[in-house]
Formats: sequence, structure tokens, C-alpha cells
Amino acid sequence: METLTQDTISLLAIVAALMPLLSFAGILLVPGDRNRGSFFSILNISTSLVLSIIVFINVWNKPQLHQQIEWFTIGDWHFRVGILLNNLSALMLLLISFIATLVHIYSTKYMEGDPYIFRYWAYLGLFCFSMLGLVITDNLLLLYMFWELVGFSSYLLIGFWFTRDTAVQANKKAFIMNRLGDLGFLTGIMILFTQFQTLDINLLFGSGGFFEHARVQDGLWTFSSNNMNAVWLTVAGLAFFFGATAKSAQFPLHTWLPDAMEGPTSVSSLIHAATMVAAGVFLIARIYPVFNADVLLVIASIGAFTAFMAASIALTQNDIKRILAFSTISQLGFMMLAMGVGAVAPSIFHLVTHAFFKCLLFLAAGAVIHEMHHVKEEKGLDFDHQDIRFMGGLRKHMPITFATMLLASLALVGIPLTSGYLSKDAILIQSFEWSATQSAWAKIIPYSALFTSWLTAFYVARLVFKVFFGELRLNALFNQSFSLHEAPSAMKFVLIILALFCLFPVFSLNPLHYEHAWITEGLPYISGIARVNIFHTLIPATVNIAAVFLMYLAYKWYADNQKAPDFSGSPLFKFSQNLWYMDKLYKSVFVNGIVGLSKASFSFDKGVIDGIVNLFGSIGVVLASIACWFDRKVIDGLVNATATFSRTLGSFVRHFQTGRLQHYLLFMMLIVLSFFVFKYFSHAI
Amino acid sequence: MIPLSHFLFISATLFCIGIYAVLSKKNAIMVLIGIEFMLNAAILNFVAFGKYDKFNASGQVFALFAIVLAAAAVAVSLAIILNVYQYYKTIDPTRINKLKD
Repeated sequence: METLTQDTISLLAIVAALMPLLSFAGILLVPGDRNRGSFFSILNISTSLVLSIIVFINVWNKPQLHQQIEWFTIGDWHFRVGILLNNLSALMLLLISFIATLVHIYSTKYMEGDPYIFRYWAYLGLFCFSMLGLVITDNLLLLYMFWELVGFSSYLLIGFWFTRDTAVQANKKAFIMNRLGDLGFLTGIMILFTQFQTLDINLLFGSGGFFEHARVQDGLWTFSSNNMNAVWLTVAGLAFFFGATAKSAQFPLHTWLPDAMEGPTSVSSLIHAATMVAAGVFLIARIYPVFNADVLLVIASIGAFTAFMAASIALTQNDIKRILAFSTISQLGFMMLAMGVGAVAPSIFHLVTHAFFKCLLFLAAGAVIHEMHHVKEEKGLDFDHQDIRFMGGLRKHMPITFATMLLASLALVGIPLTSGYLSKDAILIQSFEWSATQSAWAKIIPYSALFTSWLTAFYVARLVFKVFFGELRLNALFNQSFSLHEAPSAMKFVLIILALFCLFPVFSLNPLHYEHAWITEGLPYISGIARVNIFHTLIPATVNIAAVFLMYLAYKWYADNQKAPDFSGSPLFKFSQNLWYMDKLYKSVFVNGIVGLSKASFSFDKGVIDGIVNLFGSIGVVLASIACWFDRKVIDGLVNATATFSRTLGSFVRHFQTGRLQHYLLFMMLIVLSFFVFKYFSHAI
Repeated sequence: MIPLSHFLFISATLFCIGIYAVLSKKNAIMVLIGIEFMLNAAILNFVAFGKYDKFNASGQVFALFAIVLAAAAVAVSLAIILNVYQYYKTIDPTRINKLKD
């Protein structure tokens, strides 16, 4: 292993990224029966996983590997693309291929019997390819292309059940929201290219890169001979962050993620764990030097706000997948917050641990949904099989699912001995340390994060207790006794593997200190934050004591058959249940605004433009009828008058033409006589 | 000596009779006779005015010339009438109206 050359490693990484594309192309181009593709896809993604492991071993904590080829040349300017493998991208490569492999295996059972399953495998391949390509590329333009591809393939997957109207709406929403973010990304790319004439990530952001040579002085952003107003640096940072906002479902572009639950649960788990939403966080880590202090503060504030907002919404939702979706938004908020306070390593660490437990939560929820749906189909009942109000007591029927989901939930809450404890507390502690040097307003950020983590404890506990404890509420509802079964072994196997990755030893041998986790040590540590020892004991203690208390409260309310207090009348509850009226606001402001604008344009078009055109038309018609009248009456009149005159004259004169000689002579005589008379009297006159 | 006006009256009367005959008779021969009347009225004028002529007897000469011409004209006219009769089986000018074609 140690002897692999750089060329070989690069090649392996590229092949690892291309293998899922092979599934996509192979399944769609080679015709076959509709159930084809599962074995082929799993083979390809497993190959990817094996190659990723080899790449990871050879890259982790070694000098970064950067290889390029020339793509095209414009004039004497060369555009070079290639791959950049460092600790960050190697870690992501491994994470994505690992999670994707597990999701593939899980899907064999979960998607079994779907009539168009081959398309599912193909889209999944494209999705994984885009994400793997995104993490290994060394160029912002290629990164942008893969970024778009991720958006597009998620569009395909979210709308996989395209016969459902909600799925179609959801995938459109996701795509449009992501396009908005792409706009930001593109703006950022253009600003950087204008300043540096290159899009090479290593050249720009690597050690000794252009960003270390660029200076901001006297309101000017200077790099070699290029000057730019310093505000553009802030704009570039905000633009890139806006791109990440859409992909990682941050406020204000978060609304697509809960709707994306319309896709198959396995896809949701992939989107929420390793691909798609991770792309935004990854982007920020990859181009971290671009963000100046102002932008970082914005990132931290948006992250904290999103985390709190999503957690508060998750408190009142009843759809098992929506709760998890809002929990993802909330956790992504934590990651953004960490990025904003300069804690890049904890952020990526949380991304990795979150990937495992969120994937597990989704897959376990998928198993529950699978069984509920099975019951619903079997008995021909009508109820929402994703609604937690119909579940309950499932721990007796599905012990493995229950145990793994419980473990994942504890990790999400951040209970000691789990992976989530390490990463989440790392973020909390570092944000407190950061705020110690900041102004008073900035201190709100770590406190809101602390509060959010308590909310997390409550909604997760509510979810678990409602689903797995108490009695199955369906029994009471339909007066029948239902029995559910454990998930099939392929699904169970995946759940167990993922559950192992929710435990601390995978990441750190010391269960209480995140600083010794290998991921934290392997990633660039921003040393600007002074270590404040008191936080390292105080914060985990505060978080966990309150969290345990809240979980106990949730147990009392939701599991112990005690009546939970009814908040449903309170305005805060409604505010939360209606998703902070965010969707309604967007609908009424943007959707209706655009619809209104279109209608206004339509009526402008109809009234004014068409009016003018019609006016010209009417004027033409009037002119034409005048011309017609003139033509008929005057021109034709003249012609007809001439004709009539001739005819009248003719018919008058023809009376003289009797054909009788004597008449002719008579007329002749009369004319001669009249001449005489005329000559005779003309003298008198 | 008979004054000139008498000649002119007779000539005018003859001419009028001729015209009347030409216009009203239902027989082509009679029409021809009417024409001869008018011709003779004219000839009579020639002779009557000849008295005042600068040259000697030029009026009479012209009258003789006109008589000869009239005779020739009568010959041609009769031939035409004959042909008309052969064609139409009538010489009533009121029934011959083909001239309008």
C-alpha cells in the first residue's frame, strides 16, 4: 500500500468516482427487465468503496496530492483541471462511498417490488458520481458542474415516484431553490476569476496560495497588479455562502429539504447523510480562506438561527420523516455555525458523525415506515403510515430497529459515549470560546446553540417514545390487533453496521475529549480561538443534564401513558407547526408575487400591447373601409356613370336606328332643317 | 316676263312633293319618282338661275348634265330595286328594315 505512486492514487480516486457513473450509464443504456441493476449497482459502489479506502489510507495525514491535465487553452491562457486529494477530500470520499454502499444494500429490500426500480439504481449511481466527483475535483468550475449535477440527480430522485403530485411539486421546489443558490456560487466564481485569473482550488486556497498573497488595504483588495474594491471580497464570500445555503438547506433557502421527503426514504437518508446537504458544508471548508470576518459572522448567525428555527419546528411535527428532516436542517445549522466561528475541524467532524447517525435514523425510520405501509396494504386500511400518532409500542415488534434507532437518537442528542457527543460538544465549546472575544451581540449565538441542543433532546425523545414505547395506537383506532415484523435482514444488517459508527471508539479512544479524535487532529485547526478550560467541563455537563431531564419529561409525557399536556391551542405551537409560516410567506410573497407579476404582465400584454396592436388593426380596418367606400362610390361610381351614360345615350340613339330607309331620310331632313332653323335664328340671337 | 320667284316657288313645291313621296310612299318605285321630283326641282333652279349667269347657257348645260346623271341614277336605282325585290319579295320600304344591322 505504501508504495503506490501518486499517479496510481489519483487514478484510483478517479475510478472510484466514475464507478457509480458506470451504473448509471450501464443500467440506462443496456436494455433488460425492469428489475435489473441492483447487483450491478452494488458491485460498482462497493468497488468505489474499496478504492476509496485505499485512497484514504494513502492520503490521510500525508502531503496532499494534486495532479492536473490541461483541459483547454484560450489564447495563451491555459485552463487546467485535475484532482486534489487532501485529508478533507479523502475523508469525504470515504464517507460518501461508505454511506452510499450501505444505502444501496438497504435499498435492495426497501425498494423491492417497485415497478421501475432500474431507474432508481441508475439515478442513485448518477447521484453518487456527482457527489464523489465534487469532493475530489481541484477546480471551482468542475466543482460547480458537479454541484449542478448533484442538484439535478437529487431532482430525479426526489421525484422518483413522479406519479404523486406532491413528489413532483417537491422536486421542482428543490431544484428551483438549488438553482437560486447556484446563482450565488456562480457569482463567487466570477469574482474570484476576475481577481486571480484562475479557478484552481489549490492555487487559490492552498498553503502559499494566492489568497495568502492577496492583501486588503485602504479599501482595496490587491493581488499582484490587480486591484478591486474590498467590498467584492465580502460579496464573493457571501455569494459562495449563499450557494452553500441552498445546498445545505440553511435559512432562508431551507424549505426544499422537508418537502424532499417525498422521495424514497433511502434517498432521503443519502441526501441527508453524506451527499447533497454535505456539499454545502464541504464547499465552505474547501474554500475557507475566501471568507472574511464579516462573512464568517453572517455564516455563524445564519447557522445558529437555522439550527434554532428548525429545532423548534421539529417539536411539533407528526410525520416521522419530517421530524428527521428538520433535525437535519438544525444539525446543518450547527455545522454552519461551527464554520462561522472558525471551528472547521469540529464542523467536518460533526458532518461525519452526523452522516452516520442521521443515515441510521432515516434508514430505521424507513424500516418502520416499510412495516407500517405493509400493515396498511395488507389490511386495506386508510391512514398515514408516516404519522407517529398512529405508531407506538414498536420496540416489541422491531427490537433491532428500536435499539439502533435509540443509539442514533442518543448520538443526535449528544449523550456521552456516542459520536454525537464528541462532535456536537466540540462545536458548542468552540463557539463559546469564540464568543468570549466577541461583542455582546455575538454572545447570543452560542447560547442559542445551547438552547437548540436542548430542543433537539426533546424532539428526538418525543419521536422515539411515540414510535417505540407505549401501545400501538392503531389497535385502539381500528379495534384490531396488528402485529408488525422486524425489518428484513438486508436492512437489519445495514442498521447494525451504522449503529456501530455511532459509538465513540470509531472516532476517538477518549470518549470525553473531542480534541483527540483523529478527524479533528487530521484537519486544519484554526488556532485563533483561545482555549478556555472552564467551558470544556461546564458546557457538556450543562447540555447533558438538561438533555437528560428533557428526555425524562418526554418519556413521562409520551411513553408512560400519562396524558401529555395539550399545547395545540397556543400561538407558539401553531407558529412551530406551520413551519414558522415560512412556506406560506414564500408562497404569498414570491410565488404569488411572481404569479401576480405574470398576471400583471399578462393583463398589460392583453390590455396595452394587444390594445395598441388592435388599435392599429382597427385603424387599418377603418381606413380600409373608407378606401372601400371611396372605391365603390366614387371610382366605381365614375366608371358606372360613364357606362350608364353611354347606355342611356345608346338606348336613346338606337330609337333612330329603325333600319327603314324612309325614317333615315326623315331624320336627315329634320337635321338639315334644324340646321337651317338654327342658322336662321342664330342671327336673330 | 315671268319673274324668278315663280320658278323658285314651283321648284320648292316640286321638291316638297318629292320629299313627301320619298318619305311616305309604300312603294319603292314611287320613292324613286319622289327622288326624280326633287332632282327636277333642282334642275329647274339651275335653268332659272341660268338667266343671271355670267357665262352663256352654263345653267342649261349643267341642267342637261344633271338630267343625264339622273337617268344613270334611275337605271342604277331600278337595278337595286329589282335586286331588293328578288331578295325580299317586296318593294315596300316600310317592310325592309335590315339597314339597322
